[in-house]
Amino acid sequence: MSIAPVMMPEAEFRAAGTDLSERRRSGVSKGPLIDITRSGESGISWDANGAASIGALTTIAVVAADARLAAGYPGLAASAQGLATPQVRHLATIGGNLAQRSRCWYFRNPHIDCLKKGGDACPARTGNHLYGVAFDLGGCVAPHPSTLAAALLAYDARVMTNQRDALTITALLGDGSDGRRDHALAPGEMIIRIVLPPPLPGERAAYKRAIGRAHAEWPLVELCARAVIADGTFQLVRLAAGGIAPVPLRLAACEAALQGRAVDAAVIADAARQAVSGATPLPMTAYKLDLLEGLVRDLLEQLAV
Amino acid sequence: MSTVTINGRAESLPDDQDALLVDVIRDRNLTGTKLVCGSGVCGACTVLLDGEPVVSCLLPASAAAGKTVTTIEGLAGAELHPIQRAFMAHDALQCGFCTPGFVVEAAAFHDKWRAARSTAVPTREEIAAALSGHLCRCGAYEGIYRAVADACAGRFDGADPVAPRIEARDKVTGLARYTVDIHHDGQLEGVILRSAVAHARISGLDLAPARAIASVAAVVSLLADDQVVRFVGAPIAAVAAKDRHVALKAIAAITFDCEALPAVIGLDAARREDAPVVFEKKDRKRAHNLAEGGGGPASWNGNLRGPSAVFSQSGKRAKGWLAEAKAGGNPLLVEQTFRVPTQQHACLEPHAAVARFDGEQLTVHMSTQAVHDMMEKIAKRYNLPRDKVRVIADHVGGGFGSKGSLGMETIAAIELARAAKAPVRVAFDREEELSVTGYRPAAELQISLLPSPDGSLQALSLTAHADTGTGVNSLIAGLARLIYPAQAKDLIDFDVLSNLPPGAPFRGPGGPPMAFALEQAIDEAALRMNIDPIVLRQRWDHDPNRQRLYDWAAGLEVWRNRKPASSQNGRYRRGVGMATGYWLYLWGHGSSVELAIKGGRIVASCAVQDIGTGTRSVIANTVARAFDLEPQDIDVRIGQSNLPQGPGSGGSRVTASIVPPTLLAIEKLKTQVQRSAVRLPLPGSNAPWRDLIAASPDLVVSAKRQADGKPLPGVRPALREAGFMGLVFGWVFRILNHIEVGAGVPSSVQVIEVEVDTWLGKVRVLNAHTGLAIGRLAAPALARSQAAGALIQGIGYALYEAREVDPVTGHVLTAGMEDYRIPGIADMPRLDVHFDEAGFDHVPGGSVGIGEVATVPTSPAIANAICNATGIRLTEMPFRPDRLVAALKRRTAA
Repeated sequence: MSIAPVMMPEAEFRAAGTDLSERRRSGVSKGPLIDITRSGESGISWDANGAASIGALTTIAVVAADARLAAGYPGLAASAQGLATPQVRHLATIGGNLAQRSRCWYFRNPHIDCLKKGGDACPARTGNHLYGVAFDLGGCVAPHPSTLAAALLAYDARVMTNQRDALTITALLGDGSDGRRDHALAPGEMIIRIVLPPPLPGERAAYKRAIGRAHAEWPLVELCARAVIADGTFQLVRLAAGGIAPVPLRLAACEAALQGRAVDAAVIADAARQAVSGATPLPMTAYKLDLLEGLVRDLLEQLAV
Repeated sequence: MSTVTINGRAESLPDDQDALLVDVIRDRNLTGTKLVCGSGVCGACTVLLDGEPVVSCLLPASAAAGKTVTTIEGLAGAELHPIQRAFMAHDALQCGFCTPGFVVEAAAFHDKWRAARSTAVPTREEIAAALSGHLCRCGAYEGIYRAVADACAGRFDGADPVAPRIEARDKVTGLARYTVDIHHDGQLEGVILRSAVAHARISGLDLAPARAIASVAAVVSLLADDQVVRFVGAPIAAVAAKDRHVALKAIAAITFDCEALPAVIGLDAARREDAPVVFEKKDRKRAHNLAEGGGGPASWNGNLRGPSAVFSQSGKRAKGWLAEAKAGGNPLLVEQTFRVPTQQHACLEPHAAVARFDGEQLTVHMSTQAVHDMMEKIAKRYNLPRDKVRVIADHVGGGFGSKGSLGMETIAAIELARAAKAPVRVAFDREEELSVTGYRPAAELQISLLPSPDGSLQALSLTAHADTGTGVNSLIAGLARLIYPAQAKDLIDFDVLSNLPPGAPFRGPGGPPMAFALEQAIDEAALRMNIDPIVLRQRWDHDPNRQRLYDWAAGLEVWRNRKPASSQNGRYRRGVGMATGYWLYLWGHGSSVELAIKGGRIVASCAVQDIGTGTRSVIANTVARAFDLEPQDIDVRIGQSNLPQGPGSGGSRVTASIVPPTLLAIEKLKTQVQRSAVRLPLPGSNAPWRDLIAASPDLVVSAKRQADGKPLPGVRPALREAGFMGLVFGWVFRILNHIEVGAGVPSSVQVIEVEVDTWLGKVRVLNAHTGLAIGRLAAPALARSQAAGALIQGIGYALYEAREVDPVTGHVLTAGMEDYRIPGIADMPRLDVHFDEAGFDHVPGGSVGIGEVATVPTSPAIANAICNATGIRLTEMPFRPDRLVAALKRRTAA
């Protein structure tokens, strides 16, 4: 790889271009491009412990269709199956999915300034934030767009870049307080591969997004849920939600409320109420909390069967 | 330079890093691949890349290097692909603009399915998932489901089928040429510079910097003479250059001073007392007319234009009764305020025009709903003789009301072509299409409805405040006069002006919002009176067409088995609702059809156009039936203004305007053919007309739309309900618009079953039964397609679609297809269509239009079904998850 990007802080990497091309056409992205489709890793490999490693240029369609991945990490496979459209999934890459830019309609409008375009305020905060966050972390009020980031957060995945090893998803994306950024990669830093821990014995997982139409819509709220259930109790629960904050969030209070508890509908319903603890909805986004609670109940009941 | 193989041919790829595959393909004259959303949402640009369907609008051209690309044109070899045959046979298309993308994807799905599953039939869910990356605005989903299932089952492996839509083959093979596909030698690309602010005075417009850029051929000002822009997107200037890239650079170089003026955005802000006024008194005539016909005069008060109350009937009396009922706490009084959203037409082919001068002759290819009318308007505006203006629209990728006027795309194309002395194309991008091409205005609707003690309808009041932007002449409340007679009605319309683009006619203008309020108020009255909502309508609505439809609806199993309101408590709740719609039966004076025999074939000609509604097929079927021929035996020439005058595709008037003169012309032609026959067919010939026509010398006859016959007693024009004002309106229609309001009322009744997921706030329409009284079907398969398309657009209106704007700047935020959410294939319910073909025997041919009436009752039927399921009367559309969960929460709290 060339060292040019380090010299050009405005430069953007382009893998399949499914996010970038629209911003190029509209003029939101104007800087130099660095094509990486022929300079990165692609494909899924497995280590002796049964842990998967996914090259950053692996397409979403491959992640969605790989049988061994679906067996070991069903929440990741289901997330991949649920995002975008078939024709986008055939092109878009897992690295690009993690590093994509916000879908905020103010950010995507070339005529309007915002934090992510060098402005000093978030116009959605005072304007129309119907699809905005319900956990306000300051700065930008657009939710993080990466469905796979939430899934990988649920799986405690690590990200290897050309500059750093074993970044957590939180380290990759930041804490969500810097409204100018969609990720915390340094200029010239490129995702190389994603490494997952080995699946836990007996673990199961599910993914769902709350949307208005049946298919092909950016999630209002989405959730990847993992659980290990034994002896009628939740031995482990990992819940990672998207659509609600500038970064995907672990629902820690909810996970804690389930840990070691009996698997039954009342426990699940009680715990689901904890999903919204700490929420700070905007005037137009309180509904996302109801959807989040509904999704937690829905997926945990699915996993409990 | 790298190369790509497209349909078997090696093609070089441009070096430009920003070049996208869709442009490389289209630049090679492979125009079946369409650019629509530009954001990977709609799938119209889908091609196969090494055999996998991908979105070519987002794919960098360089990513295709060394790979093979198959476009719609390369899909079929010597024979059509089974999917193409199936799409033709099942009428899985209307305007056809999305069709190539659907066909490419469905073919890939089919080939994989057949390889793995042989002739097993995929489920609706499997088909929907495979095609989830495609959008069809006409709503051809029902046919698409059937086509994919049948092709996978192996039913289209053999011969090519007979398609009910005669241009279907051109549309499934990508050969149909739309305005955006036109390319003349030396053609330039035009781009419009638009205002980025909502209200400003422009001065010092300097076009010179744009003219100075190499490869810029013309720059023209589009500013209004008062130099004021009144909405974001208002045109300022236009540039024609060798390509879009240069044109964009040139408009960015134009300079001007912009004195910001106070702006106000939207229905609520514009009604505040301190709101800036959009049109001062001297400027009011600058407001855009958003009505299909003209509008009446009305008073203005700041940003409020109205009240318009011409269709009120004893309005004061109605008000008095309603106030009295309210004061007395009458439990039967229904009072509610409803809100409907701004609905965008979202045509997949954008507004586009290609203008070209050949000496004095102006030819304009135009994505229009009215070739003849546009020719007249262009001739008038540019002071040209009519025979020097030719408007052409072979295929039109959707209109829905938005392409009936002379738009800025055409004005810019003509003026740039004249200045550049070269052909110029102006095609709106998606942001323009979804912001400045008009819309169905949002509105606030206050309704009061009072049954009398004896159970009749005593009084109705409906006040509509429509969010018309910089347009005027919304008519919503007034339409409530023409259905459900009452002792008194107070019907008041207001336009609320603000610094937003003007609205436009949209499929049954005013009808769906009026029905949304009225049909829910009637449903509520039925609940309070403890009477079946169909029985109540049978009592209050005397129209004979609708009486028959009520009988049909009352007999439906889904209606008879519905549960009582509010009887369910689980997560998923099912409900059934119904609603009624009507539209006017209109036909155009002066519509003429020419029939000729040329070289032994019949040629039918009319300056009408087909925007996906099936006009070609209506003409072909009508002629073919009379001569015992197949529709494919008839050559239909439409889409050109220099043919005999035809109607615009608006007001559901095409079929009723062109079938009757076609029938007259048929009689004339038969006489002529027999008279000029050298010898009559042998007795016993099983195709006497075929033989006669094949042997006939060339002939031409034509006929003009004749008057209707005498209707049966009790069959009256809809406007008759409005008494004297109805007569006045009928007269105005006739004199000013050359449109006749005929006897008999096209009607629709819908029964819809929904399922509400109370956890995730999601409404799914499971089953829809749509009953239509529109006379005899001129093209039955296509009428069914129209019924299905109208329904799915109504579902979009009810559940998903809303234009959102920034309340501060006035920018349209939903200017892309991912944010302006139209229904996809999985959102299409199972559909049962019932046609009642009586009621229009006085119309020659017996057929009237379907497009508008079929969409009127959908949104209230869904609202009534949700109310039946949950006990909640939702007052604001669209019924998105955010509104559902909020309403459910309020109910739990209460």
